[in-house]
Amino acid sequence: MPSPERIDNQRLARRAARELASGEVALLGPGMPMLVPGVVPSGPGVTFLSDSGIVGVGHQAPQTTEAQGTSPGPGGSLLSTVELAALARAGYSTAAVLQPAQVSADGGFCHWTSEATPGLLPPGPAVEMAANAGRIVFMLPHTTTDGQPNIVPQCTLPIDGTVTRGVIVTDIGVLIIEQAGLTLTEVAPGWRSDDVISLTGASVSVATGLKEMEFSLDDMRPVNKVFSSGLEAVRDMPDGSTVMIDGFAGPGGMPHYLMVALRDHGARGLTMISNTAGIARIIGFGTPPGYQAIDHSILIENGQIRKAVASYPVSPSPARPSAFELAWQRGEVEIEVVPQGTLAERLRAGGAGVAAFYTPTGAGTLLTEGKETRMIDGREYVLETALHADYCLIRGYKADTMGNVVYKGTSRNFNAVMAPAAQITVIEVDEIVGPGELDPEAIVTPGVYVDRVVQRPSDFSPYE
Amino acid sequence: MTESTAYTKVFDSPAAALDDLFDGATLLISGHRGMGVPESLLRAVIESSVHDLTCICHGAWPHGDDSVDLDDLVKAGRVGKLITPHGFDPDRPGAVRSLWESGKLQIEIVPQGVLAEQLRAGGAGLGGVFIPDGIGTRFQDGQEVRRFNGRDYIFRGAIHADFALLRADSADLFGNLTYRGSQRNWNPPMAMAARISVAEVDEIFEPGGIDPELVITPGIFVKRVVQTL
Repeated sequence: MPSPERIDNQRLARRAARELASGEVALLGPGMPMLVPGVVPSGPGVTFLSDSGIVGVGHQAPQTTEAQGTSPGPGGSLLSTVELAALARAGYSTAAVLQPAQVSADGGFCHWTSEATPGLLPPGPAVEMAANAGRIVFMLPHTTTDGQPNIVPQCTLPIDGTVTRGVIVTDIGVLIIEQAGLTLTEVAPGWRSDDVISLTGASVSVATGLKEMEFSLDDMRPVNKVFSSGLEAVRDMPDGSTVMIDGFAGPGGMPHYLMVALRDHGARGLTMISNTAGIARIIGFGTPPGYQAIDHSILIENGQIRKAVASYPVSPSPARPSAFELAWQRGEVEIEVVPQGTLAERLRAGGAGVAAFYTPTGAGTLLTEGKETRMIDGREYVLETALHADYCLIRGYKADTMGNVVYKGTSRNFNAVMAPAAQITVIEVDEIVGPGELDPEAIVTPGVYVDRVVQRPSDFSPYE
Repeated sequence: MTESTAYTKVFDSPAAALDDLFDGATLLISGHRGMGVPESLLRAVIESSVHDLTCICHGAWPHGDDSVDLDDLVKAGRVGKLITPHGFDPDRPGAVRSLWESGKLQIEIVPQGVLAEQLRAGGAGLGGVFIPDGIGTRFQDGQEVRRFNGRDYIFRGAIHADFALLRADSADLFGNLTYRGSQRNWNPPMAMAARISVAEVDEIFEPGGIDPELVITPGIFVKRVVQTL
């Protein structure tokens, strides 16, 4: 008896897309996964990332010319290869969609390889995409062109990773990967479970509610990240949180409105990671007579800060100590002093999934006393570790409702490097625009890194 | 372009910009699946007489007869070793595969994110990084593994190169670069990781001709600029 027809790649892509919901961030490997954005109904409800660095792969098939790159869809942006890998490594994707050559019953897979490349086994982007994604959607033909199973008891080729949670969508069925093994949950129209199992190399159990594969897709709308006020955006911050707050020294790039909101909210026992711990209030930077600049000091004066991690936590003038210095002299706060470049690099490591790095900065000085050192190519390096935070309060110039951000001038400073390093990133901007209204080439912080967007009120004053 | 600026990084031709490329040099080549490939610069290397280059790049990709990529560089006998996450396209294997199979080309496979991070470390002056990529796979073999906060990480050293061949959309005379779409790909980390970065661009502006907010690679990282041919 001839086998029923297998589903084509378009329907396979539709079935794979059913695994994704609005608000998800999905990494796409090369091959079949690149078909998925094209089958998803209108709108950037799922943010698709290609391994070439497009954030927001569009509904339309991208046009490629020889030298130029392809462009994202509305609300998209661009990342370099290293930024894309950092995003994947730091676990910002809720799903990775990959086309493996083989998958085994225990979740092992090998990616971009075939009989045409014996012994070479190049994984492309699969290693970092699979290792850190929330879950994996595999898309592949159930068998090789000569009928051998692609789902096997053990991979016959070296694996590129192991998946503990995922789903396999093939041209004849859908299988769930769990610790316990593979379960067949759906079969293609006209297929019986026995026929699918006979073409599967690994042992498979059949779900009690076995269904026929479905291909319909709901409309997926983009998530609106706009919050009504600063206070609403920080209201859930618990006592004892670690919070990154941008600002270089002066008012540029400082989230003044969010700092006031955090003071109003009143969370205490906070560890604050920032460049200065608040010196704008001392230096003034053009503050009108009779007023004080709003900076990190307002949180210290309000007794909310337990510890600061900063590169410049003191006033430049001993006669005019900062609020933090006074609190430190009173024994109310702890301080960890970090050189400015090391602070930036530790933040970058936190947002890039890097655990630690060797830097020459500070080697042989008091700042690195007691830290592990290593000689590399005849030079001394110091081991420094990543910084992470529960919250990050930053300041942009414009954002869209999806959280894509552009900065203005040097107000960019620590904002861009802090945004990926925190669990919940809140941004205060001068103007909020709709998706697609920001130039994708100009977006510095993609919305993937931003959870909450707040408009700074037009009548808000950075002085009080 | 006018003659008003005394200082310029613009060279007359790709060949002139690569005049000091030497045998055995390590060469970073941008480009990802045919996007952002510095073709004019590649042609200059193909037409040169250097050999035994170590090339670090995404890999070869099928392309039309009117364009060039890594495969043509390998075919011309310029490359001794390739460090790549991709190698070549299984459906269009070309010279990379045949020279590799005959032992005339060494290939070292490195996962894409690992290679990118090693380049970034080189460009940022780091000695190396601990990253989780490849734990539990063959990419862990022979590497230093260390545990941080209950998770295993692999030490990866920085990569430095002699030259980088970049492909950008526009440059100014100081070498500030903008890209277009996914042309950006490997360019930014590669620009920083090489001693001499050479950018091939469609359009060259006077200083100030590019919006500073749109510059992705500052001219500090770019030594030479050429007009694409």
